Amino acid sequence: MVTAPANPKNNAPRQASLEVFHLIQQFLYREARLLDEQRYDDWFQLMDEEFTYWVPVPQARYRRDKKGTYERDRMAHFDDSLAELKLRASRWKQRTAWSEDPPTRNIHYISNIEVEPSEGENDWLVRSVAISLRNRNEDEEDWLGGRRIDLIRQTPEGLRLVRREVFIAQTVFLSKNFNTFI
Amino acid sequence: MVETFQRENNLAASDLDFHQLVDVEAGWIDRRIFWNTDIYQLELERIFARCWCFVGHESQFIEPGDFLTTYIGQDAVIVAKDRKGEVNVFLNSCTHRGNRVCFAETGTARQFTCNFHGWAFGLDGGLVSIHEEEHYSGCANFDKSKLGLHRARTESYKGLIFATFDPKAPSLNEYLGDYRYYLDVLLDNDPGGTEFLEGNVKSRLRSNWKFAAENFVGDAYHAGWTHASAAAAIFGRGVKVNPEKSFQASVNGHGTEFGLDLIGNAMALGEPEVVDYLKENEARFAERLGKLRAKMVGSMSSANVFPNLAYLPGLNTWRTWLPKGAHEIELNTWVLVNRDAPKSLKEAYRRGISRTFSPTGMFESDDGENWEHCTHSNAGVVTRRQKLHYGLGLDSAIDHEEFPGKIHRVQLNDANQRAFYKRWADLMSASDWSSLDNN
Ligand SMILES: [Fe+2]
Repeated sequence: MVTAPANPKNNAPRQASLEVFHLIQQFLYREARLLDEQRYDDWFQLMDEEFTYWVPVPQARYRRDKKGTYERDRMAHFDDSLAELKLRASRWKQRTAWSEDPPTRNIHYISNIEVEPSEGENDWLVRSVAISLRNRNEDEEDWLGGRRIDLIRQTPEGLRLVRREVFIAQTVFLSKNFNTFI
Repeated sequence: MVETFQRENNLAASDLDFHQLVDVEAGWIDRRIFWNTDIYQLELERIFARCWCFVGHESQFIEPGDFLTTYIGQDAVIVAKDRKGEVNVFLNSCTHRGNRVCFAETGTARQFTCNFHGWAFGLDGGLVSIHEEEHYSGCANFDKSKLGLHRARTESYKGLIFATFDPKAPSLNEYLGDYRYYLDVLLDNDPGGTEFLEGNVKSRLRSNWKFAAENFVGDAYHAGWTHASAAAAIFGRGVKVNPEKSFQASVNGHGTEFGLDLIGNAMALGEPEVVDYLKENEARFAERLGKLRAKMVGSMSSANVFPNLAYLPGLNTWRTWLPKGAHEIELNTWVLVNRDAPKSLKEAYRRGISRTFSPTGMFESDDGENWEHCTHSNAGVVTRRQKLHYGLGLDSAIDHEEFPGKIHRVQLNDANQRAFYKRWADLMSASDWSSLDNN
């Protein structure tokens, strides 16, 4: 998954140029800001039609355990297609979403960006760390950190997210809810 | 096991008149029960250390050594299957200095070894070995057979495993009583029985545990307003309850409010396969449950088994409200499915429940908001002098030819909540099980 395929033309491994890295970094920052501004329709514009979003629930297991911290078939916080994500977001837009009014103040902080080639000629495997800070009402503050692995595609219309996996660190989710994406 | 100390009897709250705090005849509840830490400590003593508490599903224990860690009240416990096939429940706290002996939430183990001095306990909680045992060769009161981890009584009902630390508690069957009729709606509608899907979701809410429990035992009323936005997103319209054909039923503080619409809850999953499954199998359900009960399998409904196990038919989320102090709970959730159901149906439940009843879900998000602020408003001393109204449906009791327990017409009702608090007050006032009326 992370080994760089050889470039057939010159046999050198494909590498992200500074320009590509810069484009991807700006793409991730913009995407994070759209979430902060709760502009979900604009956020969804950044997704490929086939976008999948997986945020597994980690389990604290012994190192010797055959099963790992994160597993595919377990209960997940998100295991969604684009249409399913749109359904979730559509609730936040309802006038009757009482607890969203006044709105949550969101800050998504993105760092530790690494860009590696992926199998598709126009695809990049992008790792990053995301931290979501939410403040609500008078004194409610919730933090959630996760390591992300994205598949990002260069298209004529610009960059598009094809897949995102977020490996959060909390086994017990230390908040009452999660009313954004990460 | 070494002898344990007698239960505490000097708790400050033990002199309170709990039947006055929860006036179920008139329908008023004193808010101090949601806030006072003295009352909470007595709840740990008289509710959680006394009742049968849910600890797991048999499907979580396939092989010997399979274990999970959870809580009974705030007592950390290990639930483990031994080589004889028995599931044991015992304290997760070393008999030497009290350290936790298992830090994994689940897995497979041969024994549980304390990190502190290497005392190792078997799958039944017994002390198996200790590090450098020779130091104890001259120690007169060192007897390994008496230094096992303190065990709870364990019994199961159709796949659900419960445990109690009270040797005087009635049997689980007696404890559940006629509520088993309602449990069977989900636990026994299919000959293959049930299982939990892999994994569970845990989250923290700054709520008193009773606000969560009372919400599931009988608050159909909140659905139409609290969950209006989720309903609008999923159905394009609001939640409507049928006042004619809906009921509340309660037994020993356990309770369920329900319609007879077969698919009302299941619709909220947004997974057509689940709704189709219920419709196609209604006649099969009826063979086991009878025609009337078969209509409850996925109907608009909710339920809470006293004190802190709750579930939603149709959505199939099962959950415990683990108390973490007077003002905080840890919500643990699982998804229950019929073991013989097709894989695609199980997958539909898994994904559907994540979108609806999980911390990221469209329904659960709003519930937590309400319970937290119902709890924390009581920090105000004048605020908590103001009683809360629980008077809806005071005159709605009926006799029903089929349904067991205390039945009230119309699921929009505070009847089950009053019954929950009646049981709560009975337990809080009783010095032990013998003075409790188990009906
Ligand atoms: Fe609710």
